[in-house]
Amino acid sequence: MLKVSNLVTEFASIKALNDISFQAKPGRITTVIGANGAGKSTLLRTISGLERPTSGSITWFDEELTDKSVEAIVRSGVAQVPEGHAVISQLSVAENIELGGLFRKRQARGDLEIATKDVYELFPILFERRREPAGSLSGGERQMLAISRALVARPKLLLLDEPSLGLAPLISAQIISIVDELCKSTGLTVLLVEQNANTALAVADHGILLALGKVVADLPAKELIADSALRAAYLGY
Amino acid sequence: MNSFLTAFFAGTSQGAIYALVSLGLVLVWRGAGVVNFAQMGQAMFTTYIASQLIQNEYSYWSAFVIALISGALLGALVDLGIMRPLSSRKNSLLLNSQSMRTTIPVIASLGILGVLKALAGIFWAGEERGFPAPVPTTGLRLGNTDLAITGFDLFVIGVVFLTLVLTTIFFTRTGMGLAMRASALNPEVTRLSGIRVGSVRTLSWAISGTASSLAGLLVTPKTNLSPNTLDLLLIVGFTAAVVGGLTSLAGSVLGGFILGYVIAFVNVYSAPENVFLAILIFLLLALFLRPQGILGSKEVRRV
Repeated sequence: MLKVSNLVTEFASIKALNDISFQAKPGRITTVIGANGAGKSTLLRTISGLERPTSGSITWFDEELTDKSVEAIVRSGVAQVPEGHAVISQLSVAENIELGGLFRKRQARGDLEIATKDVYELFPILFERRREPAGSLSGGERQMLAISRALVARPKLLLLDEPSLGLAPLISAQIISIVDELCKSTGLTVLLVEQNANTALAVADHGILLALGKVVADLPAKELIADSALRAAYLGY
Repeated sequence: MNSFLTAFFAGTSQGAIYALVSLGLVLVWRGAGVVNFAQMGQAMFTTYIASQLIQNEYSYWSAFVIALISGALLGALVDLGIMRPLSSRKNSLLLNSQSMRTTIPVIASLGILGVLKALAGIFWAGEERGFPAPVPTTGLRLGNTDLAITGFDLFVIGVVFLTLVLTTIFFTRTGMGLAMRASALNPEVTRLSGIRVGSVRTLSWAISGTASSLAGLLVTPKTNLSPNTLDLLLIVGFTAAVVGGLTSLAGSVLGGFILGYVIAFVNVYSAPENVFLAILIFLLLALFLRPQGILGSKEVRRV
């Protein structure tokens, strides 16, 4: 399981994460919600190594991730889909997917082909448009591509940063339900960050509410959805 | 007609060399965000190595290959020994500002240029010397007609053409080529894909070093070799890179050939002393008419 203990990440002496501790169960979706500036993205970026924590620790089963490089963390099975449908728009769809599996091309060529076939089956529209530049895709397709790039690495833990940002509700619901199915069928562990709480909590096992860099609630997702006082206080609805 | 052909062939073979220089500059600019003013200093140094080997009775070809390998090693060394340590110094506020981040490597490259020139002066006394060509540098004859092209021109065009074909295959058909393009376009997404962006960056310094080392070997049979010979080549190559859009590899090559023709035609139809004026006018025109470069627009940025 993913275990985050007493994590502190500072930007020029401002504590973006202030003593965060929680656990995410393997094979389940854990959803992190919170208002703008609560530290959700910083949390994911610290886990994936893009930001260095000032103190605290992050472990994935028995593996200590805290001081590893981004590349090493990806190679140990933790993939991040960053905020804003991060794909490389000048590269083709197929090249973006190839990029995600490039680091294990030598050891696992056969499995890489299967993994590539799998993501094309999951998102057939990407197969149709595989030769086009990623920049020509719609927002939803770009998010599918960003997820596919992460999935061909065959991660055990997937960090999703606001996948529904800027997408039509129908499309974001579709993407989240695909992630949900993936968890159930492959045992993937997901840490999902969202501002849009309802859809994200509906598929989650566990919910964590962040405010100003602190954990203010760590509850089963159903209880978090039901707690209207908590939501009114921290999310404003 | 004959002077037209003379200018055309001279432009093609000179343009091929400018294309190499420009390609080397763009590779490091895209891959590491540095305008490497030491590039032709590195080339000068490796050409001296080749010259020394030939003096010591090595064959031209073994000297040629060793110079290219030293070009790659020197490029990698510049990155690993100087550029990377400079960029990872995080504790100083001065070094952390964006403008200093981009300026410091450029100043460092000027320093490296100075060191290489001084070393060449110490090792090889800095006197101008000739550098051999593997094929005759006299004009070719077909039957009784003099052709406007030399055997060496053909050699240069052939070698550069082969280099460009290999480079294109490397960038479009191999995983490492894809990793290099991806890290130049978006380092964060590339790192999140598990690719060691630092090693990829060192590789672009090495490839750039090889390309400019090749340019040094191809240009010195005509210009002779001294610590300062290749300075002008850097200026022309840099102009070609800017004209080509600075971020496009294809554009940099195209820019190199265009500059080759501009210079050759001014040389033949006007006078050699007007060449630099022509380069300047051409650069200004290019910047006014297409500031993003010939191939600098987003859609065609893919190599």
